[in-house]
Amino acid sequence: MVVGSVSRGCQVVVVGAGPGGYVAALRLAQLGKDVILVDKGPRLGGVCLNVGCIPSKALIHVADLAYEVQHGQSMGLNVDGLSIDLPKMVAWKDGIVDRLTGGVEFLCSKNDVEVVYGSARFISDRSLEVAGDDGVIEIQFETAVIATGSKAMELPNLPFDGDRVIGSTEALSLQEVPPRLVVVGAGYIGLELGTVYAKLGSEVTVVEFLPEIMPDLDRDAAKALQRRLKKLKIKLLLNHRAESYDAGEDPVLVAVGPDDKEIRIPADLVMMSVGRVPRSADLGLEKIGVATDGKGFITVNDKQQTNVPGIYAIGDVAGGMLLAHKAYQEAKVAAEVIAGEPAAFDNVAIPAVVYTDPEIAWTGLTETEAVDQGYEIVTGTFNFKASGRAMTLDSTDGFVKAIADAQTKQLLGVIAVGRGVSELIGEATLALEMGAFLEDVGLTIHAHPTMSEAFQEAVEAALGKAVHQVNK
Amino acid sequence: MAIEFNFPDVGEGIHEGRVVEWLVTEGETVAEDQPLLKVETDKAVVELPSPGAGTVLKLHVPADAAIEVGDVLVTIGKAGDPVSGETADQAPALVEVPRPKPTEVVQTAAPAGKRRPLATPSTRALARQLGVDLASVRGSGNGGRITDEDVKRAADTPSGSAPIAVAASVGVAEATVHGEVERLPVTHLRKLIAGAMRASKQISAHVTHVEEADVTDLFEQYRTVKASVEADGGRFTILPFFIKALVAVLKKYPIFNASVDEERGEILLKKFYNIGIAVDTPQGLIVPVIKQADRKDMVELAAEIVDLATRARERTLGLDELKGGSCTITNIGALGGVFATPIINQPELAIIGLHKIQDRPVVVNGEIVIRKMMYMSISFDHRWIDGAEGARFMTDLVNLVARPGLLMARL
Repeated sequence: MVVGSVSRGCQVVVVGAGPGGYVAALRLAQLGKDVILVDKGPRLGGVCLNVGCIPSKALIHVADLAYEVQHGQSMGLNVDGLSIDLPKMVAWKDGIVDRLTGGVEFLCSKNDVEVVYGSARFISDRSLEVAGDDGVIEIQFETAVIATGSKAMELPNLPFDGDRVIGSTEALSLQEVPPRLVVVGAGYIGLELGTVYAKLGSEVTVVEFLPEIMPDLDRDAAKALQRRLKKLKIKLLLNHRAESYDAGEDPVLVAVGPDDKEIRIPADLVMMSVGRVPRSADLGLEKIGVATDGKGFITVNDKQQTNVPGIYAIGDVAGGMLLAHKAYQEAKVAAEVIAGEPAAFDNVAIPAVVYTDPEIAWTGLTETEAVDQGYEIVTGTFNFKASGRAMTLDSTDGFVKAIADAQTKQLLGVIAVGRGVSELIGEATLALEMGAFLEDVGLTIHAHPTMSEAFQEAVEAALGKAVHQVNK
Repeated sequence: MAIEFNFPDVGEGIHEGRVVEWLVTEGETVAEDQPLLKVETDKAVVELPSPGAGTVLKLHVPADAAIEVGDVLVTIGKAGDPVSGETADQAPALVEVPRPKPTEVVQTAAPAGKRRPLATPSTRALARQLGVDLASVRGSGNGGRITDEDVKRAADTPSGSAPIAVAASVGVAEATVHGEVERLPVTHLRKLIAGAMRASKQISAHVTHVEEADVTDLFEQYRTVKASVEADGGRFTILPFFIKALVAVLKKYPIFNASVDEERGEILLKKFYNIGIAVDTPQGLIVPVIKQADRKDMVELAAEIVDLATRARERTLGLDELKGGSCTITNIGALGGVFATPIINQPELAIIGLHKIQDRPVVVNGEIVIRKMMYMSISFDHRWIDGAEGARFMTDLVNLVARPGLLMARL
């Protein structure tokens, strides 16, 4: 212990106040534990609330509006002189972030969760020190929950400069629309924000090292998305490695394609989105022997326990899908296990949503995963081109595909591409958790006209009895 | 290439156990069939031999760990062979004083090809609460769906994981408020006993019938035989007389030597007489079984009882020595008490209690005389056996032990 520093004690310390950390802290407090929540600050809520899910969705919504009003001529909508006030848009987005992060602070105070701001580092398996603005304090605990999340990965040849080479965080607070934006990495973050700026008027090029966008995505979905990106005039350079950026008079990003052919792309701004890495490096984990995998993600069991007794890990830092709702669930499991309840992370499906145009959402097993697990599968697809609701929304891109066990007809997975399908995947996830068979979904009345009807139709197609399309 | 040795399926519904101790260390060279570790399963401690020769590369589970069939226990191979990383579950450190050393972590992902049991989230939560492994439950619902009822049934079956910890937690939280308490871990054997007892009480409609026996003459015979056997260097107890009398009466009333297959609606009358003997050991109750008691003489029975009881206390009984009983005797008289109401050893239908033998004044032919008297009880499953049957059974049984001559005629 550092001489002159302050020492505190608690039953449980939670490190990181993102979706994993604050939920764990609140649930632990509800279960009667004395909890300290440590966060770097300045605002609670982690990446999700501050620089992730929420702010990006705010900008995506406005960009969609802007794009649609300019493309409504065929529906009799003519808009002239649309102007985009990006600083105001960003301020509106910041207002939402303030409201939500303030809400987390409010919940913490109402639940008697003490918040300590600063960077945490383990001293032993029962204590850690927090370096904050007011010096260093030591916190002694019985149990710790590590929920430090993840951060954008940097490429050594294209380091962030906070100005012209930026990450997604900065891209959420630009003060002007860049005329020419280059996005490095065709993962979901790059494609979501690339689409935002394309719709706001940027000329967008996406440079991807791999031969395809979002390699783990269902290929039919990737194809549908790629078609739409083309319509939005987003240039896709697959098989190209971003090499360097020259911010001079004629700023260019240099990329190398197949056969080492160099290509120079004019770029006023470069946004890097090449993946995320866990924030596990500076926590002193090696000192207390917490095991991590090769990429630095902390290894845990289904009770969120690490190899060190009394130390738990949840959310992005514990690996798996880097999703806020996965962190929520893990947080609740960890809190309940700590409180002595028989909880475990045993979910069948973790839904994932990408807010591109069109949206892509999936849950359960993909076709490839199902086959790899030894299932003989049957699939059924319903295309939004045949959907009345999709036509009335002027959004007929996309489809819903149901994947099931050919023998038992148990639903195994669902993938949906299309407008608003993010709201449709919850139903599919519930069906998976309840162990639904195709008939269960097929015999459930879906409201008409909705996008969700497509799920019922896809399932009926898998059963060979679709009504609103020709059965294969 | 390194081989991974899993906790083998030893059959008869046993799917969990506990590592008692490792007999080898990492880096040690072992021969084929050399004992690697001691594992406590059901009511026995068994040694598991090495499946091959080689170097012990890794012990995957620590001593005292709970293990399930299929868990990797040890990797054996040539020094330098790669070892895969998983270990068995580590106990949650909730009341941690002092902390155990870090161990390796379990991966959450299920092994490829292993299908998840079909159950809803609320049913899965119930299973966790009751300590039931869904992989071992057969679903009765649509398409093999596991229902809440299936989980509850599995929790009540003795071979299932015992739900003791949870059931006992009622009011436990407050206990510490009223004064100092000492926390002791519940042993694996204790959990098994608790699960079996609770299940039996829930399954059967227990009723106990008590009868009085005059064993003056039997005791006399016993003394004579005992002296003779001991002169030859053997050991003899009075229990074989009761076993023989029991077998004779069981032959007359086969329903007491039976089980019931409720699913098929059939009564299984057993044509064998395997008598379980309840043995009190420091770790808890163990019931070894004397096989084919009808085909052994009393001296053989006495020797077998001594052997089984000794090995029950040493925990070296084989699993097959604890199974296959058709009726059970519990001999609690030596410890005192007038009589008791023992719990049936499932899936049997009856258990005989032998109580204290003592000199008591008795009226014989209008005169008060001192006789060796004892109470004998039978607890039986009233669902399948009527009270009148129980009374007839006990009348015959005490008649046989009261008249050794009659008993002799029935051997």
